[in-house]
Amino acid sequence: MPDQPRPGDRSADQRAADHAGIARLADALVPALIARLGSASLGEVEIHEGDWHLRVRRAAGGPRRERPHRPALPIVSPSGASAPAAAASPADPGDPRREAAVSPAVGMFKPSLPAGSRVRAGDRIAAVDLLGIAIDVVAPIDGTVVEVYPQAGDGVEYGEEVALIEGDRAPADGAREG
Amino acid sequence: MVSRILIANRGEIALRVLRACRTLGIEAVVAYSEADRASLPALLADEAICIGPADAKRSYLSAPAIISAALVTGCDAVHPGYGFLSEDDAFADAVRAHGLTFIGPSSHVLERFASKEEVRRLLAAHGLPTIPGSGLLGDEAQALEEAERVGYPVLIKPSAGGGGKGMRMVRSARELAAVLPICRSEARAAFGDDSLYLERWLEENRHVEVQVAVDRYGHGVHLWERDCSIQRRHQKILEESPSPAMSPAGRRELAERAVKAVVAAGYENVGTLEFLVDADGNAYFIEINCRIQVEHPVTEMLTGIDLVATQIRIAAGEPLGFAQEDVPQEGHAIEFRINAEDPEHDFRPGAGTIERLNAPGGPFVRFDSHAYTGYDVPPFYDSLLGKLIVWGPTREAAIARGKAALSELVVEGVTTNVAIHQALLTSEPFLQGKFTTNLLDRVGAAAFLTAAERA
Repeated sequence: MPDQPRPGDRSADQRAADHAGIARLADALVPALIARLGSASLGEVEIHEGDWHLRVRRAAGGPRRERPHRPALPIVSPSGASAPAAAASPADPGDPRREAAVSPAVGMFKPSLPAGSRVRAGDRIAAVDLLGIAIDVVAPIDGTVVEVYPQAGDGVEYGEEVALIEGDRAPADGAREG
Repeated sequence: MVSRILIANRGEIALRVLRACRTLGIEAVVAYSEADRASLPALLADEAICIGPADAKRSYLSAPAIISAALVTGCDAVHPGYGFLSEDDAFADAVRAHGLTFIGPSSHVLERFASKEEVRRLLAAHGLPTIPGSGLLGDEAQALEEAERVGYPVLIKPSAGGGGKGMRMVRSARELAAVLPICRSEARAAFGDDSLYLERWLEENRHVEVQVAVDRYGHGVHLWERDCSIQRRHQKILEESPSPAMSPAGRRELAERAVKAVVAAGYENVGTLEFLVDADGNAYFIEINCRIQVEHPVTEMLTGIDLVATQIRIAAGEPLGFAQEDVPQEGHAIEFRINAEDPEHDFRPGAGTIERLNAPGGPFVRFDSHAYTGYDVPPFYDSLLGKLIVWGPTREAAIARGKAALSELVVEGVTTNVAIHQALLTSEPFLQGKFTTNLLDRVGAAAFLTAAERA
């Protein structure tokens, strides 16, 4: 069947429809997503509809997160004891809070910063090698790397806690974690 | 040699593969998504590793995540189960490129059998009758043209997958235009490939499939047929063997033709050839499934052959080790798919905590399920909770055993389709073995249940 149109071929109508769709996105959806990104303290918003998807990401330097952290997970130190829940609570602004950095992928662990390093939220503290592609493990909060759990070359799973960050003392006004 | 397998799937099939590994003395690592952390296969595995979030695209459909998990856990093989990446030749090739054994046909065999539309032509050339159909569909106008040529009613089918996803029967051009985008998006979501084709729809048909096993050395056997005509919206819910619709001679002839054709076409490993059988007993090949199937236990009950173990041994390069005359078809077996869905409300899938689960038992009763009392059924995946399989020396005995076993099965906390199975086992068309694939859809499941209650 040599004359049969292939799925990749697009008619003029389809192309026109796509251009109209892109125009609509630029006029209406993108500003709305940017507003939502600002108000929700998210690093990134992605939406899917039909054949397309659209991702809006906050520019580097802002309070960016590669992936949402998981406050529901207990923060476990290597000894197995849970960190005190109060330490992570903004209700007690005087105490430093601790948060775990988690692996964004399943793969081989490559540390890049030693314990004691100062980090800002979003900084790379390690990488996970996924079939030759390094995927960043980022600090969830501003603070100091207390401990990195896996050794270089260890296998880590998705969502595994790989490092513990102790946050800077919060300002006295108890500003929310961005 | 295979000594440690990564099971890249979930639910009951992950547990089934785990059990095969145990009997073969092979270590099993279960790759799971965050939503399946507490499922039985993840809990029972020698090792379990989280490969991604609940979203299957980033876990069970992520080839890099699965291969990376296999490498960091020291596996030498990957079992893909069914669905997800099980028939993806690019995945099989990537697995091999990383020095791992893919438990299934090799990538070049999968590639040859990847397009359902092309396979129909390939096996037709090797002597199997097929149903009129189209090539791959392009845009809407071209799809409408093809449908005219094939003749309404037509069935829209995804070229890449099975399980009823992305499949719709349409009777007119208007209907076709309306559902084409839906089928495309369903196919893309389920298989990562939205190519579709058309097949002429036979109104009164039965769905009969032949199980085959072919080793790498071209030695193949069939393991008889399964009748999967009890469906709702193109999804099988009850399977049995032998098929009540076919004579012993007809069954043997179909099975022999099927295995001969696939061996000639160069197939390898376990696979299933699906046929539609019309009212006169003519069988038309529709598609091949290059993987283990949900309903494989039916065949295991009749033949005594462990199909998953056979699949692993063939992939490891072993010869089949048995001949056609070593494959009996003894007695009658029925499988009931137990789904977390509500037959009274259009089979709406359910999720939630299983407050109580009691599995049926007794002789010749098998219950394959990843669920347990306290298990949370996640809302992200298909609704299959488990499979109840019964065997008896005759169809009547198997039906009686099925009734007894279904009455023992207790699932509390989520709605299941058990009532549909109970209704089937008292319905005249089923008892007489005279039913076609539209038995449930013709009257609607709710009406079918009501009628069974009155009888």
